[in-house]
Amino acid sequence: MKSEILYPGAFPMVRVELAEGEHIKAESGAMVACSPTIDIESKMEGGFLGALSRKFLTGEKFFFQTLRASRGAGEVLLAPTVPGEIVVLELDGVSEYMVQKDGFLAGADGVTIDSQMQSMSRGLLGGEGFFILKMSGKGMLLLNSFGAVHKIELKPGQEYIVDNSHLVAWSTTTTYNIEKATSGWVASFTSGEGFVCRFRGPGLVFIQSRNPGGFGAWVRQFIPVTE
Amino acid sequence: MTEFHPNALCFGEEFPATGAPCLVHVEGHGLTVTVLSDADAGERRSESVPFSELTVSAGGLDHDQLVATWRGPTGQRTLYLKNPDVIRAFRQGAPDHLTIPLERAAEQVRQVRQRHRMVWSIVGGALLASVLGLWFGSDRLVELAVDRIPIEWERKLGESAYYDFLARQEVMKDGPAVTAVTEMTHRLTDPIPKNPYPFEITVVKSDVINAFALPGGYIVVFTGLMKKAESPEEVAGVLAHELNHVLQRHGLERIVKQLGFVAVVSIVLGNPPGLGGVMKQLGVELMTLKFGRAQEVEADLTGLQLLHRAKIDPSGMITFFQRLAEKDQGRVEWLSTHPMSSARADRLKVELADMPKQIPEPFTFDWTKVRATLGGHAGGSP
Repeated sequence: MKSEILYPGAFPMVRVELAEGEHIKAESGAMVACSPTIDIESKMEGGFLGALSRKFLTGEKFFFQTLRASRGAGEVLLAPTVPGEIVVLELDGVSEYMVQKDGFLAGADGVTIDSQMQSMSRGLLGGEGFFILKMSGKGMLLLNSFGAVHKIELKPGQEYIVDNSHLVAWSTTTTYNIEKATSGWVASFTSGEGFVCRFRGPGLVFIQSRNPGGFGAWVRQFIPVTE
Repeated sequence: MTEFHPNALCFGEEFPATGAPCLVHVEGHGLTVTVLSDADAGERRSESVPFSELTVSAGGLDHDQLVATWRGPTGQRTLYLKNPDVIRAFRQGAPDHLTIPLERAAEQVRQVRQRHRMVWSIVGGALLASVLGLWFGSDRLVELAVDRIPIEWERKLGESAYYDFLARQEVMKDGPAVTAVTEMTHRLTDPIPKNPYPFEITVVKSDVINAFALPGGYIVVFTGLMKKAESPEEVAGVLAHELNHVLQRHGLERIVKQLGFVAVVSIVLGNPPGLGGVMKQLGVELMTLKFGRAQEVEADLTGLQLLHRAKIDPSGMITFFQRLAEKDQGRVEWLSTHPMSSARADRLKVELADMPKQIPEPFTFDWTKVRATLGGHAGGSP
């Protein structure tokens, strides 16, 4: 399985080459085009209950699509819904990543997707909700962001502060605490940051250069109110 | 060359920030850590770390990984272990000076898990308690709120909806049907002591077998209902039911309850995606359902009393519900805001049996003639 990011930048697309018999699971609706040798199946990853918990708990899609090269080798073009970069990670069987609910684009068959409950403070204040996706296993993982993706590499013990609405994915070897952005409650909110996540390494943190919630609020002011 | 199956991640100066996948073996003297020095060529490099050089703690996102650190030849090394077999072997093989930190790390993991469980149980319990509190205590709260709303406000609320509705309908301004409905209304409302509502009733040409009441005393009767009714007492029965929705301020209660409940749920849950959103919708629907049914039963029973006071034969109300019951088959009572017509008829029969007997006074109009002016039989459904 090989992948190549086409048109890198705001509107990228990823080309995945599949050998005969290989398959990839992607977010429902992610397929843009594919070779005629590819079969598209709709699958409830993790069975019915797994799919149900993912849908209800994380707000992710109930069905994933499986793209299978069942009648010979072929290629698949995938793209996310929102404008923004795509990042390719190679899971090695020991590294695991937590991914915010809209961050998953596609994964090789060896990648396991679980919804995992967060702690109360992270769930309430972290901005990703109580349940987020945990990616483990082995193989290629494609994530997408809103805006550009920026990778932060943390050494053991190294700290970094991230606005919670800009998070895309982070390794499970990192740890984070939710804090007020400034020392006072009022200043915390008037500064426009509210809560931030203080990450501590080792591991990777992927952040997105735009905040989807903030963009939504900005667009809303231009939508005419209808009776 | 055998395949490389890493079971841990090793961090250090010469490794990438993701950590190097490594294979950890627990041996008598300490740990052997093997990493791929050249992934393409499959070359491996092993490092032996004696137990005496290790410090251990719990780490990772959920504090569920065993973190071992030591000073290697090229600087500080950190190992993240998650594999239960390796951790077990480590705990068994570790010498005394590591037993205490290992147990401390294990204790830390247990405490974190316990704290998560406790916080979730408290929050779950609090949520359950507030849901139960809302479910059982809301009726009284709504009554208190409704009592404080003046009749004029209620009339204004109903008035706009009433004229808005009538503007889109074919209204009957006069004729025998209007005269008949007016007489029924007077018979029903005149005996009400201290009636604050100047009732306004309009007959609308439509085959729908229905009538409805809006807050403030605005009532609409469809000609479909009059065509379906075999006696004026049947129409009077439905009217008595609708008048009581107004007198008991049911519409207003419903608005207050719906607004209040949505407001409370919105404050508690915000506007969350996923489960929260589903729960919110479900809660609002269930609340509306429960409330709607209680109101219907109340309007039936007080409607019966109103008929009795007006000396109108109450059996008309019962026969009308019985006829509707024939259409009800297949519906499940507890899933509907309106109680099943057959159950309603039965409830009313029991209630009627307890009332003192009286001789009903007939209406002054001829019902057959009134119906004849409306044309054929109704084809709509309730």
